[in-house]
Amino acid sequence: MSDSKVVKDVMTGIFEYPHVPYWFSISQAIRIVKVSFLSTKKYPDPMAVLVFDEKYNLMGTLTLKDILKGLEPQFLKPSAKAQVAEEDESALSLLWDTLFNKGARDLAEKPVSEIMAPAKYFVEPGDPLTKAAYLMLHHDLVLLPVLENKKKFIGLVRMIEVFDEISNALLKE
Amino acid sequence: MELIDRDNHQKLYLQLYEIIKKKIASSEWPVGSQIPTEENICKMFGVSRATVRTAVLELVREGYLKRQQGKGTFIYKNAVSEGLTMLTNFRELLYEEGLNFTTNVLARTVMMPIDDLDVKLDILKDKHIIYIKRLRLINNEPTLLQESYIPYNVCPLLLEEDVEHQSLFDIFEKKYGIKITKVKTNIEITYLKTDEGRLIGLTEASAAILLAQSFYSADTLIMYTRSIKRTDRFNFFLELERKIA
Repeated sequence: MSDSKVVKDVMTGIFEYPHVPYWFSISQAIRIVKVSFLSTKKYPDPMAVLVFDEKYNLMGTLTLKDILKGLEPQFLKPSAKAQVAEEDESALSLLWDTLFNKGARDLAEKPVSEIMAPAKYFVEPGDPLTKAAYLMLHHDLVLLPVLENKKKFIGLVRMIEVFDEISNALLKE
Repeated sequence: MELIDRDNHQKLYLQLYEIIKKKIASSEWPVGSQIPTEENICKMFGVSRATVRTAVLELVREGYLKRQQGKGTFIYKNAVSEGLTMLTNFRELLYEEGLNFTTNVLARTVMMPIDDLDVKLDILKDKHIIYIKRLRLINNEPTLLQESYIPYNVCPLLLEEDVEHQSLFDIFEKKYGIKITKVKTNIEITYLKTDEGRLIGLTEASAAILLAQSFYSADTLIMYTRSIKRTDRFNFFLELERKIA
């Protein structure tokens, strides 16, 4: 990877993704995902929604996986205990049916702030891409926000661009 | 004197109607004066009584002329309203000017249109909108809760403006040259949700005034606002003026 590559060279615009305030419900976010991606057959990688606070600060990101996990009934979630019996996966198909009952609809009224992945790590536009790659790999991030002067949210680094840059450098050498 | 043009395909009574209307507008036939009799108009323009009667009736219907039983037909006014036009300073529509007010900005962020906001803003569902929520206090008493929705592309820099001390009108007009030319307002009674009641100092389900307004710049819808006012602090000012034809 070129040493001169910095975050701003690869970052994508924030308006490529839908925005929601943290008080939106999961069901509202689902409708937005459908309208923004599914019905228009736009499938960006990752498919995500950006969650903001009332002062337009980025609070977190919401992927399709976060949404589905948010709808998951409590009894499907793994126990926090260190030693647990092995899950009986044969029952999962039955349990999965419960996702579509009233309980799930109640869960869908929870605010997105309860299920989003909080934005904890950021990069500056002038940071080297290696820093972005490190943060994304070590913190399992699908999107990494870019802040200007540690304040203004101006873009996003996606794994696909990081992969592209690293793989290009690798194949050249 | 303008005469009827028989080669003109326009109906005779319409030509006569236009001629008389011009005479009224130019004050050749001044307000308050009596127009010539049907018979005289027939002779002046070489048309039938039926043509004169139809043209005069149309002018009566539109308010230019008034018939007085047994006396004749008089010029009533030389301009007629084409509808009522709002003249007021828009701020007066919502706020009691001159009072000691403060504004708390509760939210200023970007979101996607939910529910029917895409219809209200005449935008596609996948377009971003700026959302501003403000609470207006008069003498420290909450009086107005206002939510404004603006298509992001109308004024992207709005997010960086001081919306606590400036009206959105001033920002649009003075800073960005976006002239607001039309406002459609719908006023109704609403019953407060819990959070609305808490903010405005009332209990849930209390009655309040809801103003739903659509703001246009020429034909472009630039903002939709939803304002909730306490009924006990409601002083609604509207100034309307007839548009001169």
